[in-house]
Amino acid sequence: MNWTIEGRYFYPGAARHVPARASAEADRTLRIADEEGQVLAEAPARRVTVTSRLARLMRRFDLPDGSRFETDDNDGADALLRSLRKRRRGRFTDRLERAWPAVGVSLIVSLLFGYYVVVQAVPVAAEWLALKALPTVGHAMTEQTLLALDRFALTPSKLAPADRAKATALFHRVAAHARGGASGYRLIFRGGGRIGPNAFALPDGTIVMTDPLWALVKQDAEIEGVFAHEMSHVDHAHQLQRVFEASLIPATLAIFTGDMSQMSQISAILPGIVVQSAYSRGFESQADDDGAATLRRMGEKPSRMADLLERMDKKLCGKQGCPPSWIGDHPNTAIRAARLRAEDKGPIAAAQDCLRPWQSGISLRCLGWD
Amino acid sequence: MSDLPAQPDGAPTIHTVEFRGRGGEYFRIWIVNIALSVLTLGIYTAWAKVRTQRYFYGNTYLAGQSFEYHASAWRILVGRAIALVLFLGYSLSVVFLPLTFGIWFLILGAALPWLANASIRFNARNTSWRNVRFNFNATYFEAFIAYVVWSAAALAFFPLIPYARRVHDYFYINHHRFGGRGFQTAFPARCIYFVYLSGFVLIVVLLLGVIAIAGAAVEIATHARNVFGKFAIPLGPENFSLIVFVLFGIGAAFVASFVTTKVTNLSIGNTTLEGGFRLSSKASGLRVAWIVVTNALLTLVTLGLFYPFGRIRLARYRMRKYALIAGGDLDDFTSEALEAQSAIGQEIAGFFDFGFGL
Repeated sequence: MNWTIEGRYFYPGAARHVPARASAEADRTLRIADEEGQVLAEAPARRVTVTSRLARLMRRFDLPDGSRFETDDNDGADALLRSLRKRRRGRFTDRLERAWPAVGVSLIVSLLFGYYVVVQAVPVAAEWLALKALPTVGHAMTEQTLLALDRFALTPSKLAPADRAKATALFHRVAAHARGGASGYRLIFRGGGRIGPNAFALPDGTIVMTDPLWALVKQDAEIEGVFAHEMSHVDHAHQLQRVFEASLIPATLAIFTGDMSQMSQISAILPGIVVQSAYSRGFESQADDDGAATLRRMGEKPSRMADLLERMDKKLCGKQGCPPSWIGDHPNTAIRAARLRAEDKGPIAAAQDCLRPWQSGISLRCLGWD
Repeated sequence: MSDLPAQPDGAPTIHTVEFRGRGGEYFRIWIVNIALSVLTLGIYTAWAKVRTQRYFYGNTYLAGQSFEYHASAWRILVGRAIALVLFLGYSLSVVFLPLTFGIWFLILGAALPWLANASIRFNARNTSWRNVRFNFNATYFEAFIAYVVWSAAALAFFPLIPYARRVHDYFYINHHRFGGRGFQTAFPARCIYFVYLSGFVLIVVLLLGVIAIAGAAVEIATHARNVFGKFAIPLGPENFSLIVFVLFGIGAAFVASFVTTKVTNLSIGNTTLEGGFRLSSKASGLRVAWIVVTNALLTLVTLGLFYPFGRIRLARYRMRKYALIAGGDLDDFTSEALEAQSAIGQEIAGFFDFGFGL
C-alpha cells in the first residue's frame, strides 16, 4: 500500500525547510517529495529513526544524511510506519497514556506505593540505618544538639547537690532494669530555660532532666517512669530514626516524581510535618509501653508516670491541660495517661491505639509494624 | 505553519515563545510515568524523564516551530546507575564512617566542574530547534572558576552572592551555542544587586508579617478554646514556632522564585546571539512567585494530583514572556558537527542535587 502524509522537510543539519510529503515506496523505502512531486530525499526505512508517539507532539523522521521530515499527523505517521513495516517504538506507553482505565490503575498503583513507602518502607529503613549507625554518629549529634540547646533554650542547672545525688541514684536504679544496663545511659541536669519542665534523650544515651521537672516530682516512681521512658528512646535510637526518616521521604519522592523544584519542595513541607509527627507519636507510645514494662519489672506502678505527665501538662498549659494538637509530636496527654494507668494491670494490647487514629496519630503498629 | 519572512534591512521581527501543553494530557503522562517507575523498581524513571522533557520541549513553540529533546533513555539509565552507586557509597560512608566526609568533599569539589560541564553539555546537545542543535563548550578550568572559586567566595562573604550569581549565569550562557553561533550576555552588576536587595526587603517584610499572622492565629485559637472548650481548633501557643516555620518556608519559596525570575530576566533579557539576534525575558517576578506558591498549595490540598496541572500552568506563563528578536534570517542556522556525548555527568550531578543553569 502506498501511504502519503503531509509535513515539512528540513535540509541536512539546517534550519531551512520546505513543505513536503512523505510516502512509503516499494522495497520499504521512505520517499520525501516537495509539493510539485520533486523527490527531496529517499532512504531505506530501516535507516530512518522515528520519534515515538507522545501526546500531540510532532513526529520526526530523521534520515541518515542529517535531513529530517516532520509532521503533526500522528495517525498518518503510524500508518506510514505500518506500510513500511517498521517497528513503532513506545507504542505501548502511548496507549497507556491515552486510555483512561490505564490512567486510573496508574493512579491507584502510585497512591498505594506512596502509602507503602510512608507506612512501611521508610520506618523500616530508618530503623535499620539508625541501629546500624556507628556510636560516633550518635555522639557527634548529641554534642551538636546540646551545644545548640545550651545556647538558645536551656540554662545551667541550679539543683542542690543532694537533689542531684538522689536523682542520679534513682536513675541508676532504673538503668539496671533497662535494656542498655547500668552503663548504657548518663543523666545530666539543666535549668528549664524556655523549655520548662521536661526530660529528653539524646542519641548517645545522654538523658537531660530540667530543674522544673524535678520540682514537680512527688514520688520517686514518677521520675523513674520518665527515666525509663527516655531510656527506651535511647534503646531504639529514635532520635537517629527521625533524622533518617526526614531525609528518606523527600529522596524517594524526588526519585519517583523526578522533580525537586521549589513548588514540590513547598508542597512537601506540611505533609512532611504531619508524617513526621505521626512517626514521632509512634515512638512516644513505644517509649511509654517500654517505660511501663521497666516500672513493672522494678515492682512499681506505671500509673505513677501518668500522674507526673498530667502535672507537667497543667504546668505548661494551665488548669485544663494542653489541648490535643494536630501536629504535635507527642500524643495527647490524656490518652497517654489513660494508657499508662491501664498498664498497671499488665501490658495492654497495642491495638487500642488503632481505634482512634485521629487522636493518637497514624500508629504504625496498628498496621502490623513493630 | 508560520514561515515568517526575515527582514534583513527592515525592523527586526519579534517572535514570542508559546507553550501549548495541556494539564489533562500531561497528567496522564505523569501518572503513567510514576506507576511504571514503581512497577519497574525505578528503572523506568529514565524513560519517564525523557518523556517528560520531550513533552515540555515539544510543546514549546518559537516562531511556529517547537523545541525538541533527543536524549536517549538508555544513556540516562547508565548515568543514573553510576550516580546511584556513588550516592549510596557517599551516604553510607558518611553515616558509618563520618571521617570520610572530608575525602568525599574534596572528590566532589574536584569533580564538580567536570560534572557541571558534562551535564550542561548533555542537555544542550540534546536540545534542538528547527533541526538545529544547541551546543555547550567550556573548559574544566572555566567551570572551576565559575562554580568552585566563586561559590566558595560567596559562601565566605555573603555580599558576593549576587556577583557570583552573575558569574554563574555568564558562564552558563556565554558558552552556549546554537547552529555554530555563540550566545553572549552582559549586564551591569548593580542591576543584580538591586534584585537581591528587593528580595531581602521582601524577606524582612514577610518575616514580620508571618510572626504577626502566627501570633493572631494562636491568639484566636486560644480564645476559641476558652469559649468553646474541647471542640475548638486544636492549635495552641505550643504550635507557634511550627506555624511560623511553615508560613516562613512558604514565604521564602515565594521570595526565591521572585529573585530567580528577576535574575533570569536580566541574564536572558540581555542575551544576544551572533547574526543579529536578541533574546527577551519579561516575566513578572511577583506573578511567577504567586503561581509557584499557589501551585504548591493546590498540590498539597489535592494530595499531589494538581502537580502536573501546576507545572503546565507555570510553563504557560513563563514561556509566553520569552521572545526572540530576530534581525537576521532564521533559515541561516546550521548544526555544528557534534562528538559523542555522555549523560553520566548530568545524572550524577542531578543525584547530588547540584543545580546548574537558570
